Amino acid sequence: MFADLALALSVTALGACLAVGSTGISLGTGYDRIGPRFFPYLVAMGLMLLGSWLAVAAIRGNRATPVAEENDEPDLQMNWPINWSALGYLALALLLNLALMERAGFVISSSVLFWLAARAFHSRRPARDAAVAVLLSILVYFAFTRGLGLILPLGIFNRLF
Amino acid sequence: MEALSSLFAGFGVALQPMNLLWALVGVVLGTAVGILPGIGPALTVALLLPVTFDLEPVSAFIMFAGIYYGAMYGGSTTSILMNTPGESGSMITALEGNKMARAGRASAALATAAIGSFVAGTIGTVGLTFAAPVLANFALSFGPAEYFALMVLGFTTISAVLGETPVRGLVSLFFGLTLGLVGIDLQTGQARFTLGLPQLLDGIDVVVVVVGLFAVGETLHVASTLHGEGFITKVRGWTWMTRADWARSWKPWLRGAALGFPIGGLPVGGAEIPTFLSYWLEKRLSKHPEEFGKGAIEGVAGPEAANNASAAGVLVPLLTLGLPTSATAAIMLAAFQQYNLQPGPLIFISNPSLVWGLIASLYIGNFMLLLLNLPMAPLWARLLEIPQPLLYGGILVFATLGTYSLNNSVFDVGLMYLIGVVGFFMRRFGFPVAPAIIGMILGPMAEQQLRRALAISQGDASVFFTRPLSATLLSLAMLVLVVPPLLRFLRASRGSSAR
Repeated sequence: MFADLALALSVTALGACLAVGSTGISLGTGYDRIGPRFFPYLVAMGLMLLGSWLAVAAIRGNRATPVAEENDEPDLQMNWPINWSALGYLALALLLNLALMERAGFVISSSVLFWLAARAFHSRRPARDAAVAVLLSILVYFAFTRGLGLILPLGIFNRLF
Repeated sequence: MEALSSLFAGFGVALQPMNLLWALVGVVLGTAVGILPGIGPALTVALLLPVTFDLEPVSAFIMFAGIYYGAMYGGSTTSILMNTPGESGSMITALEGNKMARAGRASAALATAAIGSFVAGTIGTVGLTFAAPVLANFALSFGPAEYFALMVLGFTTISAVLGETPVRGLVSLFFGLTLGLVGIDLQTGQARFTLGLPQLLDGIDVVVVVVGLFAVGETLHVASTLHGEGFITKVRGWTWMTRADWARSWKPWLRGAALGFPIGGLPVGGAEIPTFLSYWLEKRLSKHPEEFGKGAIEGVAGPEAANNASAAGVLVPLLTLGLPTSATAAIMLAAFQQYNLQPGPLIFISNPSLVWGLIASLYIGNFMLLLLNLPMAPLWARLLEIPQPLLYGGILVFATLGTYSLNNSVFDVGLMYLIGVVGFFMRRFGFPVAPAIIGMILGPMAEQQLRRALAISQGDASVFFTRPLSATLLSLAMLVLVVPPLLRFLRASRGSSAR
């Protein structure tokens, strides 16, 4: 219930931020009847109303239930504690990828991303993962740059070619 | 009859051996790239666009038609198998399709999607051939008030049908609307909610949001619920479509096509509303409504058919008015512009062999896809047997690659990850993610139309209720939101008074 309430309040807060932010939009000099602020106000009002609704529901003990869309394996949902170590590995993977992408290049950052993601999913074969990670990254790099003409950062290999 | 003779001339172009070959190459490439997890049709078409530049325009567009349908097909395949749709149109297919795949019925799900795509794609292309001028005429009678009302109807249907309660759907929708506000206001040129970041001036790319909410959000969600060692979804046997599956599929195919083409053909169409309406309709009409949410084949057949028919429909405003109404269509418009061609009524006169060659190769590409993909369905289904650590590693790599390639921007990648975290929380707390995408795409369009309508009426809001078409659409939108809870309430009170 605490988490539900916190969520409801953050929806309300988002609405409030939006409302405050809307007042700062300069109106410009159009012949526009309702101007660039009107629609943001509508959205902000909607968010605040919905957030309050959720908050009331949470206080009345209405817990979040998985929606039909995701409701495939009920035992997989909600009941289990969050696997923090898996999320930690993924967070590290994503952050490292952002940091390395343009500095070290696509091949290295992708390999790191892939390998750490595999760790997050409890892979027991780090050597295999590393091999797949590097091979896939190199393959993808050449397929998409040479084959499809994308530009992917070379990073440290810049000096080699 | 004029259309028919033009079409024959078009087939004359498309059936030349070299052009047939280009169509085949396009179909294969489109499927191969579209099938990568997290890379949807829009991104596939964008990635493959440069490949066509070396060809002469007619061949390039014929190849392009193959890529377009191939990408659609590849996209729904991954949506079904891995629940990582790369475009809003295949979101609905993923709802039931992924449930079927996890229940060991991946081949049947892929087959009904493939045949449904073929049937609906062909119907849609026939519609494109004959109805293009008529539809364009009808759409011209729409004013801003009608467009706005149509979008409101889209908002309420999506929120009411997805999710346990409309409130959760609406929260998701409003989150999407918020994302859609970011960037320069088209009418006054004022920056809104850019937080002072120049990268946000052009707004947030839809692909960033779709890939973030789906591919990254799903990965985080699955990882957070891991218990002990990761498991692999076992594909239990190869159950092809049974007689019962056929019986339950053919009507949704036709109904999906009937919804998809006309709505896709409207200048505000796109694939979201028809796939969504089709899902809702099939759930209402099904003899097995209890299976919905657990893998009902009607829920794959109908929306997938609607998706493909709308893909043909989207070409109507694109070709006749030069108006792109989906992300993919926007990229196709870019392709036309690469050849200094401006789609519009004139292109049918100035470049008939190109337009009709393109339309003819849509028929051909669709047929090739069916031949290619029916035998391949069991093979694609084996993608499910990839060990989970490698699968999700790959999803993250492709999601990153696809997002980066949009603008060669690490900022986009970071934003995509951030939105992925939001997607994770939405899953955790039972908010459907699809309405957010709808809000993001339709929100800015709705705002434009609202402002335009009020500008024309000199600020008089009654315009939405005095124009009959707009009033009808708005009443429908209201009914969609109010009727289901009302029925539930009536049923509950009747149940308690009977007791």
